[in-house]
Amino acid sequence: MRRRSPGFLLALPAWAWLLVFFIAPVGMVVWFSFGYKPSIFATQATDRLSFDRYAEVLDPAFFATFLNTLWVGVAGTVLCFLIGLPVAYWMAVKAPPSRRGLLVALVMVPFWTNFLVRTIGWQVILSPDGWLSSALQVIGFEPLAILNTRGAVLLGVVYNYLPLMILPLFVAFDRVNGPLREASKDLGAGKWATFFRVTLPLAQPGVIAGVLLVFIPLMGDYITATVLGGAKGNMVGQLVASQFQTAQNWALGSAMAVVLIFVILLSAAVGAGIVWLVSWPFRARNRLVIGPAATATTAPAASASIREEVGA
Amino acid sequence: MTDRTVQRARKAWSDVAFNVWGVLVLVFLFAPILVIIVSSFNVGRLLVSWDHFGFDSFVALLAKPAIRDAVWISVQTGFIAALVATLLGTLAGIAMARHPGKWVWWFLGLLLLVSVTPEIVDAVALLPWMVFLGQDLGMSIFNDGIVRLVIGHSLFSVAVVSYLVRARLVGQEANLEEASADLYATPVRTFAKVTLPLAMPAVLSGFLLSFTLSLDNTVIAAFVSVSGSTPWPVYVLSALRSGLRPEIAAVSTIMLVLTLIALGLVAVVLRRAGDSAADIARTMGGG
Repeated sequence: MRRRSPGFLLALPAWAWLLVFFIAPVGMVVWFSFGYKPSIFATQATDRLSFDRYAEVLDPAFFATFLNTLWVGVAGTVLCFLIGLPVAYWMAVKAPPSRRGLLVALVMVPFWTNFLVRTIGWQVILSPDGWLSSALQVIGFEPLAILNTRGAVLLGVVYNYLPLMILPLFVAFDRVNGPLREASKDLGAGKWATFFRVTLPLAQPGVIAGVLLVFIPLMGDYITATVLGGAKGNMVGQLVASQFQTAQNWALGSAMAVVLIFVILLSAAVGAGIVWLVSWPFRARNRLVIGPAATATTAPAASASIREEVGA
Repeated sequence: MTDRTVQRARKAWSDVAFNVWGVLVLVFLFAPILVIIVSSFNVGRLLVSWDHFGFDSFVALLAKPAIRDAVWISVQTGFIAALVATLLGTLAGIAMARHPGKWVWWFLGLLLLVSVTPEIVDAVALLPWMVFLGQDLGMSIFNDGIVRLVIGHSLFSVAVVSYLVRARLVGQEANLEEASADLYATPVRTFAKVTLPLAMPAVLSGFLLSFTLSLDNTVIAAFVSVSGSTPWPVYVLSALRSGLRPEIAAVSTIMLVLTLIALGLVAVVLRRAGDSAADIARTMGGG
């Protein structure tokens, strides 16, 4: 017999903490974004509310940075996917099981190394008078001129967020590995057919998780662009920061922050939608194979007959 | 050649391609870290230009109180922030797993919001908020550097610990708690003797991950920190403008070793609790 327990009260401290130190401050930023900067010495005022700051965000100079950020965000996410997918597949399927733990650890160490420090590592590597540049010059190339460009920022974000793509994909492939792929092969599917019609559709939650885990923090990134981008590789995160720290225009900075959140949520939804749509044809054909019946005990013949019954 | 040998040769070819790609990507992932480690043994004025090998930068650390203070501030805030996050997150995670209801969806929504909000937004939001609480409302505790850092660093960690603890307990039936109650244990005793030990691996790994996240936090720290309590990453960020010296690499190397130890402990704890490589990847990859 269970006595009436305190229940959700246990979560109360966490609720309170996040309400006071997350919801309230972010709410205040939203409030500031409708205000204005009254004078050189004041950061914001909210006695007159308007959408004027949002109009200012559409200013061509700011808008260009937004587009640049979106470009880096999309290109970075796509590159992470293309680079990370084979790695995750290799770790989960190709590598011997005994070595899987080690490989996971190897991917995790860079991920947990200080973000700023490993980005500085790239600054050292890409520096025009660094060892890579000298080595290239010895073979007869020009000195490296990539630092402080958008290319350097793209390299930096792909580097920084790649583990966030590899890990969920690895988890997803690890789950698919084994009986289901065997079954597909027994049913006469080739290697590529198995991959595209069984493995990848089943790994779809991992793909969506990876895309979101990379895209969302990447869009708000501030450090990579600061360390590697210089003037040419500006991102919205830096704009927001400079409005608060340098320009002391908290009203405009707040509007930018709000727009940034909206752009991220909107494009994350669109991105997840695209992944979902692209995988739709594969998924429709394989719906019954992935169903709860398709566990390790399912005989290949059984799933084939179910498939026939429904006429898929 | 028979068909079978052709097939075997082709299979080996694709396996080789996978191995090469995997190793290349690992090299890519480790390249800047190795560069930093090597740079910490650079005897020269600047980190970027290699002079010659030596331990000078490690010795120089002892002579530089600014660096030592920054690291000490980071370690302190990391420890306190991890304590706060673990306490709040563990209670919330247990509540979500054992007392589910409609509220869980709202709470998970809040945690999701916390995890998807870019750090820079948290940072610029916390700065005016701290100023408001500390100066306008006169709560002077919010003017304290360490308090500010702990609050800023704990937000994301609370979400991480809550997820971890919930995930571990949801996977295990509440039978044990019911048995304990049937045997006339009080709710408090059941909590201490049954629920908490069940959740312990998640609690421990949550603590260590929070600590590491806090050591790593640069963006929020750069905004909320006050002069006199500059944490290590903010010190590095400011050194970025004035020129990076090999001491920065030396401290980074030391911190890397510490992080590795923390991660190793997490892995050991989780493995003891029976997690597979995939479970550990899921835990450390953030869900």
